[in-house]
Amino acid sequence: MLMPLDMLRSGETAEIEEVSGQAAWVGRLAELGIRQGCRVRVVQSGSPCLLDVNGCKLCLRGGECSQILVRPVS
Amino acid sequence: MLTKTLTVALVGNPNAGKSTLFNALSGLRQRVGNYPGVTVEMKKGQFTAGGLTVDLIDLPGTYSLAARSPDEMVAVDLLLGRRPEEPRPDVVLSIVDATNLDRHLYLTSQLLDLGEPVVVAVNMIDAAEAQGVKIDCTALSAKLGVPVIPIQANKGIGIEALTQAMLAAAEEAKAPVGPAFPEAFEKEVTSLQTELGADVPGFLTRRLLLDVGGYVEAWQVEHHGQDLKQKLAEARQRLADAGHSVPGVEARARFAWVRAAVAVGVTRPAVRPVAFTDKLDKVLTHRVWGTLVFLVVMFLMFQSIFLWAKPLMDGIDGVREDIAKGIEGNMASGPLRALLVDGVVKGVGSVLIFLPQIMILFGFIAFLEDCGYMARAAFLMDRLMSRCGLSGKSFIPLLSSVACAVPGIMATRVIENRRDRLATIVVAPLMSCSARLPVYVLLIGAFLKEGYSSWVPGLVLFALYMIGFVVAPLVALVLKRTLLKGATPVFVMELPAYRRPKIFAVLRRMLEAGWAFTLRAGTFIFAAMILVWALLYFPHRDANGESYPNRIEKAEEAAKSNEDKLKELKAKPDATDDEKAELEKLEEAAGQADHLNGEWKRSSYLGRTGLYLEPVFRPLGWDWKIGMAALASFPAREVIVGTLGLIYDVGDVDTKAIGNDDADEEAKEKAAGLAKAVKDDWSKDPIRSKYGVAVAMSVMVFFALCCQCASTLAVIRRETKSWAWPAFTFVYMTVLAYLGAMVTFQFGSMIIDAMG
Repeated sequence: MLMPLDMLRSGETAEIEEVSGQAAWVGRLAELGIRQGCRVRVVQSGSPCLLDVNGCKLCLRGGECSQILVRPVS
Repeated sequence: MLTKTLTVALVGNPNAGKSTLFNALSGLRQRVGNYPGVTVEMKKGQFTAGGLTVDLIDLPGTYSLAARSPDEMVAVDLLLGRRPEEPRPDVVLSIVDATNLDRHLYLTSQLLDLGEPVVVAVNMIDAAEAQGVKIDCTALSAKLGVPVIPIQANKGIGIEALTQAMLAAAEEAKAPVGPAFPEAFEKEVTSLQTELGADVPGFLTRRLLLDVGGYVEAWQVEHHGQDLKQKLAEARQRLADAGHSVPGVEARARFAWVRAAVAVGVTRPAVRPVAFTDKLDKVLTHRVWGTLVFLVVMFLMFQSIFLWAKPLMDGIDGVREDIAKGIEGNMASGPLRALLVDGVVKGVGSVLIFLPQIMILFGFIAFLEDCGYMARAAFLMDRLMSRCGLSGKSFIPLLSSVACAVPGIMATRVIENRRDRLATIVVAPLMSCSARLPVYVLLIGAFLKEGYSSWVPGLVLFALYMIGFVVAPLVALVLKRTLLKGATPVFVMELPAYRRPKIFAVLRRMLEAGWAFTLRAGTFIFAAMILVWALLYFPHRDANGESYPNRIEKAEEAAKSNEDKLKELKAKPDATDDEKAELEKLEEAAGQADHLNGEWKRSSYLGRTGLYLEPVFRPLGWDWKIGMAALASFPAREVIVGTLGLIYDVGDVDTKAIGNDDADEEAKEKAAGLAKAVKDDWSKDPIRSKYGVAVAMSVMVFFALCCQCASTLAVIRRETKSWAWPAFTFVYMTVLAYLGAMVTFQFGSMIIDAMG
């Protein structure tokens, strides 16, 4: 099941399926490790939220999270 | 013998330890901040190795070479040798973080496409080992096709091997090979290249195709016309149809390459241990606990700024007074002495007195940044700040401005987004700084103490502080919607791992901030103070052509010679009428010097301007005296207390004595006397006697909103590198202050009328 990243709760892990939005922003996120096929763990949900991407902590706002579609991994 | 020069460019992600390596190589010290985007300017260093002089250029930290702004393009152009001021680098030094190799090697893969020799420095190899990550640099080097050197930049380990590798790479001058892109992509690049001609390097042609809406696209479309835009769109569509849509194709190609290399060179433990940083973050980024810790940290910070700075500030003040006395004792009175004492010593002293506060604040900021806490604070505050169109990074500068806007504005350097930074700079002076306090205390003491409940003064003071806290975000919001409008910047912030801050780097940063403040803001305020002094000093002769300073001195001498007699008469319980008359005369003579001083100020150029401008001040409920005092305090708002003292004939009032119980008796008496003199003077006037409270409130609101601080404007000029922003700040704040004061007075007088 696909859902926006901001739907995940703290502690949940998901695989990124699609990142939409402005090309520049998609590119920037890809550089930071948020791109199709990568795994993220939500450290803290809400806006801004805290994500763990490959052991690196990133902070994103809710509006931006909703443009990232993920597939939760149980 | 001429030594050959080698140019090396140092490139890496933010927090890779770039600045530390730069220092370790060149021996030049600079700031090392544990915060994304700390190196805003390019730094250069030089060292000799193997008989060669090496020029080392430190490029701003970046995650990729996909330039989105002219700022980012400078780094790309420099790497390609397209900047006239720097030769093309002989070697590109790519620094990567061993604990985050996958991510950092992405940038390395882009550097390989530049066509220059690349040397990879794997930094913080010890931290990786502590996490159980083993990196085989020989295997990695074989896979990447470039030298890979393990280093620990903070301890200087591996620096020698790195230098040797750079020299060897420069000698060999072999262009490395980057990741392979799909054939369809290469075909589009080739056809685009023939379109653009040989002037555009292949690297930029690839970026043109990849970076949708990037800087290269804007630049080339401007050059070749809309025709190119059409061709680009078609090419991108063809790629998308073939399953290689941009910009995804780049991330896939590069990360596949990175994954293949890491698979050979890196062994990871099966389970990632819960790191110290994670445990700490559980508390520090927690909604409740984290906010609590943040509030405590902020409270301690501001408390220490006031507590620790006070003895130092008193010391500076003491030295200032000693110098002033020394000059007064050794020079005959006249314009020159007055200029030296009142203009130079007091003027510059009133600026230097902020130095301890600024250095302590910067020490704190440097410490919090270096240990990695600042990014957490920005994360916590982002929710609040996003409501007014700013980001969490604006919070610390705004909070610092409550102490003083000058360090607050300097602290905006951590904000990467230009529009956010400008909005923060422009609203920072609205925060109620410590220099406004004397004005508030004086006027509240005079008009809102007697006859009011004991909680009224505190409430008014709180309300005055709230004006800043409420108006600043509102102005920021308006600015972000109008003047600084633009696409909402994507807010992605990396929270770096916690590190032990380096004392040397913190001290260095404090000294840098202190020196920058002294040197530049100092020269500007110096000139401004002399100007106001001159406007208050000249013309210094009365109608009969006699000099005021001489008359004042004579009056003072006369008062001094009669001092004993005055005391004696005062002490006498059963004085005769004659003696009483004499006492009155003597008392008048004692006040003569202050009276003359007041007359002189009134006839000065500034005083005349005040009288001339009286109609402008009328809607605010002010007379020319208040207007003139407000005018004179434009270079520095604290000046109003002293100026009011001069105008109301009380003499020189010590600003510090107001609201300060430790001040000596005489100074306190004078301060209390000023409040009384202002009150007495206003009671003689029909408007100000009836609406005294409204007038006092209007003055205070004016001071709360007005930008009466030349140092702040000078710092804004320095930080924005333009006169337009300080001018804008000054104009909008003055207009706001005028309107605010007018509304306050009109509204206040209406209420007073209604109450009868």
